[in-house]
Amino acid sequence: MEITITPGKIDVLAVSGTIDALTAAEITASFNKHIHDGHPDVVADFSNVEFMSSAGLRAILASVKEARAAGGDFRLACPQPAIDKLLKMAGFHNIVKIFPTVQDALASFGD
Amino acid sequence: MKKRLSIVIGSGSILCAASLGLMRALKREGIQVDMSVGCSGGSLYAASIALGWDTETAQSLTVDLYKTDIVEGYTHNLRAAMAGEARFTEASGLVDDKVMLDRLAAAFGEKTFDDTIMPLYVVVTELYSGEAVVFSSGKIVDVTRASSAIPMVFPPVKIGDKLLVDGAVSNPLPIDVAIKEGSDVILAMGFELPTRKRMNSYAAVTSHFNNLYMNNILKSSFAFYNAAHHAELIPVLPAFDRPIGGFDHHQLPYIIEQGERAAAEQIPYLKRLLAESS
Repeated sequence: MEITITPGKIDVLAVSGTIDALTAAEITASFNKHIHDGHPDVVADFSNVEFMSSAGLRAILASVKEARAAGGDFRLACPQPAIDKLLKMAGFHNIVKIFPTVQDALASFGD
Repeated sequence: MKKRLSIVIGSGSILCAASLGLMRALKREGIQVDMSVGCSGGSLYAASIALGWDTETAQSLTVDLYKTDIVEGYTHNLRAAMAGEARFTEASGLVDDKVMLDRLAAAFGEKTFDDTIMPLYVVVTELYSGEAVVFSSGKIVDVTRASSAIPMVFPPVKIGDKLLVDGAVSNPLPIDVAIKEGSDVILAMGFELPTRKRMNSYAAVTSHFNNLYMNNILKSSFAFYNAAHHAELIPVLPAFDRPIGGFDHHQLPYIIEQGERAAAEQIPYLKRLLAESS
């Protein structure tokens, strides 16, 4: 699992690899550190996430809560179909803003 | 310490046969299951796994069970019930359950939960309260029959002092049972029921709304269990690219293949997870 940060008005955190019980703690720590370093608004680019388990879902939820508690928001962009199916099944589309592209996610912060 | 692996098979009628593909994938990888949980159609496969049956034996159960004669008389009796010509109460069903019961009896005989090679839990619903009842003892044929009692289609089943219907009414994917019984890793195979674009009869509209309710219960409960569980929950969600009717047993090879395919996607992670000490 790797996280690449593209700085901007809103930073984009691109995740690649798997988000599961073996990587969830690391990803939560990275996301939360970024949020508390003065970037409460975050777009997570999931286009290169190949696999996600329930631990991955809980990691996302933890970061969403952290960002919102810091006055910002954590938004997801371009999950692969299998990941998106899991997000829908777990009700994440109801509580997290999820967009088909990174551009859409970035633009949504201007709303 | 070895992680305790459970398999949970939800409701989904003949689609539940996809769990045979999951078992095939696990067997190929030499992965042992420690606990089996099921409800509704999934209870039949949960039982067959817990009894240690091979997939061929479980597949022949499916072929025998899902023949149209198990719902013989449905349309005629539905018309009679709608017209008020036939008395209908909470203890009624539109279909005589004799054929279904005979088929289950032929498959499971006198076997009880004590005959299983791993713990087996089957979820059924108490008709009056709507509460889930979890069985871990008794005759398998009685409990699977009760868990498969589609409301109004098949009559409810009385076990002890409880009148019981389909487990899917209260808990279409009983992950909570595996959580409560101490699983570390849970493979959960669930199925969204098909919905319709066009409906030309009362029965079709009823079926459509029923499936919407069921799918929403499935998603809500999955979301809750996912958020609440401390260990790892691995959903195995087969994708079907064609409509499959409740009695399309000629589609069995395809259903099983899709189950195996969905399982194969999870196997690498499952192996890594099980290799880690708990």
